[in-house]
Order: sequence, then C-alpha cells, then structure tokens
Amino acid sequence: MSKQNQILGVFNDPDEVSEAVGKLLQNNIQVKDVYSPFPLEHVWEKLKLKTRIPYATFLYGAFGTAGTFAFLYWTSVINYPLIYGGKPTNSLSFIVLMFVLTILSGVIFTLATYLIREKMWPGREVNMPDSRSTDDKFVIVIEKDKNMDDEAVRKIDELLKKSGAVEVNMSNV
Amino acid sequence: MYNVKVRGVLIEGNKSYHDITQDVNGPLLSKTTPNWWWMAAFVASSMLIWGVWGFYNTVTVGTGTWGLNNSVSWGWAIINFVWWIGIGHAGTAFSIFLLVLHQKWRTSINRAAEAMTIFAVMAAGMFPLIHMGRVWDGFYAFPYPNTRGPLWTNFNSPLFWDVTAISTYLTASFLFWYVGMMPDFASIRDRTVSKIKKKIYGILSFGWLGSARGWLRFESAALLMGGLTAPLVVSVHSIVAMDFAAGIVPGWHSTIFPPFFVVGAIFSGFAMVLTLMIIVRKVYKYEEYVTRKHLDAIARVLTFVSLIMGVAYVTEIFIAWYSNSPYEMYVFFKSRAIGDYAFEFWAMIVCNAIIPQLFWFKKIRTNITMVFIISIFINIGMWFERFVIVVTSLSKTWLPSTWHNYSPTTTEVAIYVGTLGFFVLGILLFLRFLPMMAASELKGILKETSIVTENTKNHE
Repeated sequence: MSKQNQILGVFNDPDEVSEAVGKLLQNNIQVKDVYSPFPLEHVWEKLKLKTRIPYATFLYGAFGTAGTFAFLYWTSVINYPLIYGGKPTNSLSFIVLMFVLTILSGVIFTLATYLIREKMWPGREVNMPDSRSTDDKFVIVIEKDKNMDDEAVRKIDELLKKSGAVEVNMSNV
Repeated sequence: MYNVKVRGVLIEGNKSYHDITQDVNGPLLSKTTPNWWWMAAFVASSMLIWGVWGFYNTVTVGTGTWGLNNSVSWGWAIINFVWWIGIGHAGTAFSIFLLVLHQKWRTSINRAAEAMTIFAVMAAGMFPLIHMGRVWDGFYAFPYPNTRGPLWTNFNSPLFWDVTAISTYLTASFLFWYVGMMPDFASIRDRTVSKIKKKIYGILSFGWLGSARGWLRFESAALLMGGLTAPLVVSVHSIVAMDFAAGIVPGWHSTIFPPFFVVGAIFSGFAMVLTLMIIVRKVYKYEEYVTRKHLDAIARVLTFVSLIMGVAYVTEIFIAWYSNSPYEMYVFFKSRAIGDYAFEFWAMIVCNAIIPQLFWFKKIRTNITMVFIISIFINIGMWFERFVIVVTSLSKTWLPSTWHNYSPTTTEVAIYVGTLGFFVLGILLFLRFLPMMAASELKGILKETSIVTENTKNHE
C-alpha cells in the first residue's frame, strides 16, 4: 500500500471530467494531471495551464527572416557580387526566399521546442497511469502525499465517484 | 459552435469513442493483408519498375531519349511536375485552410489528404531532378561554399525559389503530418498484442502520454506549424507559376499566372482527394466516417473552383485580344483554339470548366459513381491544362523557322507511369501501416457534432 501513491479517477465522458476537476480544485485537492484521448480545453482553463510556445515561434520566425537576409546579403553583395540582367545585387526579390525560409525555420524549431519541452524522443519508455486513456477513458491523476490519511483518500474517492467516475484506482506509476 | 440540427451529423452510426479506436486501428492491427492490397501493390510496383527503367535510360543516355527539341525544351517532365505539385496541394489545403475556417468535416479526410501531399510532392520532385540530365550534379542547386568562387546560386531566379519552396513545403508538410499521427501511434501502441508492433509504434509515438499539459503544448505547436505552412500553399504554386510568367514566351508572360496556378492546384488536389476517398471509404467500409455529406461538401467546393478556372481561361483569352500583340493572339486564337493541339485545349476547357458544373445538379452530386467519374475528368483536365501551357506556347513562338511540334517518347511515358506507381504504392503502404484517419481528432468532434438527440431527429 505504501508504494501506491497515486489516485486515478477514471471517467467515460469529457464534460464530467472537467466538472470533476473543478470540484476537486474547489475542495483544495491538487490535480496532478488529466490524461485524455483528445484535448480538453475546459480542463486547461480550470488547471490554469499556459504555454509559451507561440512566443518562441515568433522568435524562430524572426530569426529565419533575419538569418536569410543576412545570408543573401553576404553571398550576393559582399562575397561574390555577380550582376544578373543588370539588377542590383541587393535585390528586392530576396523577399521570396526570406518568406519561405521564415516558415521553414518557424516550423522546424517549433517542433523541436515542443519535443524538448515534452521530453519526447523516439523510443522513450512510458508508463501510462492507465493505458485506456489513449482509447476511450479520461483519467484524473491525484498525487497522494504523506499527509493524506485514509479519511482524506476516502473523501477524494467519494468526490470522484459523485462527479461521475466509473472507477477509482490506486497506482504507483 | 457546430449545429448538428443545421449541418447534420459528421460521424454516422452513433459511435462511441471506443468504436472509433477500433475502426481506425482495426486494419493496422489485423494480421492478414487483404488480397486487393496485394493486387494493387503488384500493379503499382510494375508501374514503378517501368519508371525505374525510364530513369535508368535517361541517366545513362541523357535527355536525348526524350522527345524534346530546341523549341519545345520543356515537355512531359515539366507538365508532370506541375501536375503532381498541384495534387500535392490538397493535403495542406484540407488540413489547414479548413482548420482555420473551423470546418469540422475535415477531420475524417485530412490525414489521407496529407499523405497524398507527401507522396505527390515527392513524385513531383523527381522531374526537375531528372530534367537536369546530369542527376549526379543535382546538388549544384543548393547554395554551399564551393571551390568555384565560391559561386552562389542565382537567388533571384524563380527556378531556385522553386527548389527552396518545394523542399520547404515537403519538410513542413511531412512534419505536420507526422506530429498529427503521434497520438494515434500511442493508441496503437497501447492496443496491440504483438510485441514487435508495440515496439515499433512505441518508437513512432515518441513516448506520447496524452496528459493535459502535453495536449495543450501539442495543440499549440500543431496549430502554429499548420498556420505557418498555410501560406506555403499559396507561395509554392505562385513560384511554380513564376517559372513560366517570368519568361517572355507568348501565352506565359502574364500576371494572372500565380493566382491561376494556385486555384488550379487546389482544384486538382481536391479532385484527387475525392478520387482517393471514394475508393478508400468503399474498400475499408468507412462510409460512416467519410459520409455522403463529406463528398457533397467537396463537390460543392469543386463547383465553385471550377467557375474560377473558367473565368481564368476567359480572362487569359480576353487579355490576349486586348493586348493587341500578334504573338499573344496567335497563341490563343490559332495555336490553341484551332491548331495542332486543339484537342488538348478543348479537353482542358471541357474537363475543368464545363463538366464539374454538372455538380449543380443534386442528383449528380449525390451519385457516388458520377462524382467519381467527374473527379477523374478533373484530374485529366488539369493534366491537359499543363500540357497546353507548356507545349502550345513553346512549339510556336515568334519565328516560324523555329516552329517545332512535340510528342513524348516511351522513356518520358515510362517515367510518368513510374511516378504514378510510386504514388499509388506510397498510398497503399500508408493505408496498411499508418492510421489513415485522425482518431484523436475524430473523438474530439464526436460529442459536439455527431450525437443524435431526440430534437435532432424531429428536426430532420
């Protein structure tokens, strides 16, 4: 029993999950995480989760624009100024490549940031609290800390079941 | 908000979340490969092998094995390149334009459309490569510090923009497609009983968990990647159009080309999606996911886009007359309308601007066989469009002494058929080994769009 330090509330319905999360938070119970087969926006709101990835993407895009211009200017104006058809070496048509490479830089680095933040890589071993959460179940994970006595655990169990949980399990993952 | 009462349900058959998992993962987890799959794979491989022969012939002997001449220096290779790129626009158009427009009916089709994009763009990329003649010098197209100066590539040339734009498009589409599949890979990993499959799909899923924070970051990253890729749909084909429009050849030198090409790309891409999805829903019995309403929606989009194509053709002809340039007028009124390639010209007009207008009739739009046939006509019509643009313009320019007709050789046909085989084989492998519908996205829209209540029934 001492090793099983997580309480899992298993739900069938996405709306019941977000309601349950709200009720748990009202009762000052910490929700560690919610596992679901698809994104639940209401749960993010209730858990006050935020991501800063959009700001990072903006920086990557800006880096792509500036980097491409710097490269084109260096190659075409400084390193080997070759005249094509009488056009100026510092050409307005650089915009096309700057546009395309801004996108490329934004896409690749955004993905990299996402994978790094989530600590995901090919072959990473995972222990799902309940593997049915990639199918049709929604799982609320509550950390059971040392201060929690049996009474507190029973209260959480009751609360979860009242909000519509079909199962309440203990897990050590 | 999606209104079931107005739009009808998106996923029929009152499915549960578990049903969706079963339906999408079923064909992947099944141990037996259906017979039709082997048959199709055999045909596609044979086509591919013939294409490899064409490639071999071109590489060892040279582009002299093609029907090109000094006047018509761009032949089937460029026609097929543009045709494939056009088809390759469907995936992104579906995934991203419809995502931005909150069109929820995209969810059962977007994954397959994206796969189509990947294989079509790869098929397209082979043509410029082989057209160089010396394939082994293909890396000259990329700017790298070399010992020739260093002499950089011409950064003001639409041909170099093409290389960059298409490489970027392929990379971005592939990453977006792959990221979208990670939750579904995890679902397969957790369902399969085979140890090997568990290992492989586990690696492919990158250790996906599906926690609230993970989903938030996933949604944010996927939306950003999609949003960034969306403008590429416009830019890639605009740049392809500039390969033509930046030249002074009569019939090419026109500002209408970039928008005209972008619309044409979406047109042929959507038509190919229709062709493919009609087959897939039939053989995989996905009629409840790719419903008649989905096909109807695509048909409506095609009707509208076909009208734009018609206007573009008329505009081109009008501008040729309005320009008062004898060379422009010759191309449109003689060379194309009544010249040696009149059949191709009129086939283009009929297939692209006239036949899709049959979709105005509800009877035709809801008849799957008719829809399938019309989608094939559009695919053919779009091929003819590129033929008309490339060949009629080049074969008869300013000096009659340079006039020269063009017809393809067996090698050129072989390469084209080879890319068709490559495309079909790619799609077959995708259908067999990867989740062909975005299960997580389908689950996400299920409750909102597909649960039939008493009220909905009364309304209908």
